Amino acid sequence: MTQHTAGIDVGTSAVKAVVMAFDGDGLPKLAGRWRERILRRDVSQVALLAYEQALAAAGVARDRVSYVASTGDGEELTIKDGHFYGMTTHARGATWLDSRCRAAVDAGALHARVFVVDDQSRVLRSRMTSQCAAGTGQFLENIARYLGIRAEEIGPLSLAASRVEPCSGICAVLSETDVINMVSRGIAAGEILRGVHDSIALRLGKLLRAVAAEGTVVLTGGLAADTGLKGALERALGADGGAPLTVVSHPASVYAGAIGAALWGEYRLSRRRQDERAAAAALDRAPQ
Amino acid sequence: MSTGSTTAALLERCERLYADTALDAVRAWKGAHPGRLAIGHLPVYAPRELIHSAGALPVALQGGGDQVDIVKGDACFQSYICHLPRSTVELGLTGDFDLLDGFVFPSTCDVIRNLSGIWKLLFPKKYSRFLDLPQAFEASTGGRFYLHDLEQLAKELHGLGGLAPDDGRLQASIALYDDNRRAIETLYALRREAPWLCSIDEAFLLVRAGGLLDVQEHTALLRSFVDAAGARPKKREDRIRLLLIGAFCEQPPLGVLRTLERSGAYVVDDDLNLGARWLLGDVGPSQRPLEALVRAYLEQSTWASTRFEHDEPRGAQLVKRVKRAGADGVVFAAPSFCDPALLDQPPLQKALTEAGVPFFSFKYAENTGQFQGIREQAGTFSDSLKLWGAA
Repeated sequence: MTQHTAGIDVGTSAVKAVVMAFDGDGLPKLAGRWRERILRRDVSQVALLAYEQALAAAGVARDRVSYVASTGDGEELTIKDGHFYGMTTHARGATWLDSRCRAAVDAGALHARVFVVDDQSRVLRSRMTSQCAAGTGQFLENIARYLGIRAEEIGPLSLAASRVEPCSGICAVLSETDVINMVSRGIAAGEILRGVHDSIALRLGKLLRAVAAEGTVVLTGGLAADTGLKGALERALGADGGAPLTVVSHPASVYAGAIGAALWGEYRLSRRRQDERAAAAALDRAPQ
Repeated sequence: MSTGSTTAALLERCERLYADTALDAVRAWKGAHPGRLAIGHLPVYAPRELIHSAGALPVALQGGGDQVDIVKGDACFQSYICHLPRSTVELGLTGDFDLLDGFVFPSTCDVIRNLSGIWKLLFPKKYSRFLDLPQAFEASTGGRFYLHDLEQLAKELHGLGGLAPDDGRLQASIALYDDNRRAIETLYALRREAPWLCSIDEAFLLVRAGGLLDVQEHTALLRSFVDAAGARPKKREDRIRLLLIGAFCEQPPLGVLRTLERSGAYVVDDDLNLGARWLLGDVGPSQRPLEALVRAYLEQSTWASTRFEHDEPRGAQLVKRVKRAGADGVVFAAPSFCDPALLDQPPLQKALTEAGVPFFSFKYAENTGQFQGIREQAGTFSDSLKLWGAA
């Protein structure tokens, strides 16, 4: 019989929910997923809505879910069975999305962090960006709004740019001032975005080198779908003289945290059942 | 009143008492009991029974927490001294303690000892008493010394306007506090057995309320909560079980406690509000109740970093306590610059390492306002035990 677990990743700008199915063949499947923006609403209500939508997408009733795991800022959710720290779940989600994963970049709305993982998804080393919002999703969304373009246009425009307009990577205020100047000077949107991507990628590349990342790097979090950022990171890592790294993204990378939470939830369930079986066996063996 | 509203109302009251740095509850008590004394005492342990038997209200002074801005208090202490004495001086100098008739400073550490001296200089007209709790736990030495000290304290309270020392009254007070200790233990038993029914911050608030309330009222409050807790609509979650240690004097802000549990743990035992749980078990009835109180201190004191290790190494006692609580790990939560807590950490951690008990540590001050670092530490610690450990 198929078992289901769910993961709910409460981020700064959106809640991501997934339902994972376990058929007994040892290969969990992503049965349903949903991303709901947080727009001045009660976060727990948004999380509940995202969860319900993910259940509907999976065609699974709520009472068929054996473990609901939260991550990110989901500590307060009352529907959860357990909570996992964000880095732990992104690490698990990244290795599930690409089994070659030995490092991950989790770039979200307000922060970005990189970490090196082993083949059991265990985080070995990590680094996080400073508190400044420059170089994260919220900042990129603001820039897109100033430029009058949609979020999904950011990546293609950046990749198509033939030249780059350098942009400050120190803080959001300086960067936004840079961008306003560029707009007034008539710089093309693609060139501005490429400059912004390059400044973000430079910081992420340095973090990856700081944790001595090797092999395949999986992008997760809200910015994982930004092809412009992926391209900029590949360029930055190719030019810094460090060991070659392969940067990959996945159509479900945005859901990596929620996927990891659901997978760890299933792991906890199976361990609990093992413990119960062992306890029952010990009871049977005990002299009457 | 429904179960939910009962527990909510009790907790709301406790939270009001937690925020009552101006001691309005004590003011109300004095209004209802004209002519009776209210005696403040610093952490960790003070013989509240003796103060109570003088007809006085023992008032636990717990610092200003995260609600008091320190302006004058910093002038009395170097930068490498913990936060509690600063806020205590601040509250004293701003007049919040004016309604108290006297102060008892137990020999918790050098800082509290120095605070007692500073207090005498700052408030020369107030009764101020340094209580030298013995570190020799033999009846013939420490026992004799402590008995004499308590007799003196009883006489001084009488001289201050309290009731004259009386064995019958002291015995009655001891019985009330024995009952209170049993009620607190019942609450902690609930925490060990069903921690989802009462969170760590709730348990902390419930016990701490006793610092400002009449003992019978506090006992009734605790029992009302425990009786109603079983019916609370709380869901059991998949969390690790933690023992919190080191927070016996300066208390952490509620945000620290809430962050610890939200990050994936149940704190099933702790040394918060340790003074209220200092004596393990009843003092019991006796023809000579003052001697019984002394004997209880010598023989039934809990292990603590402020107490001499006279019988069994503290590390071994900590390991026993971990097992008793069924804890998966230990969190050392020490106030910054707390010598007793921080100097004890290396031997305690060595004992835990030898016993295979995982742990992590952080420091706080009573007015800590940033919890992200603790959230990350607690979250990753919890995950490491749940996913790769024995939890």
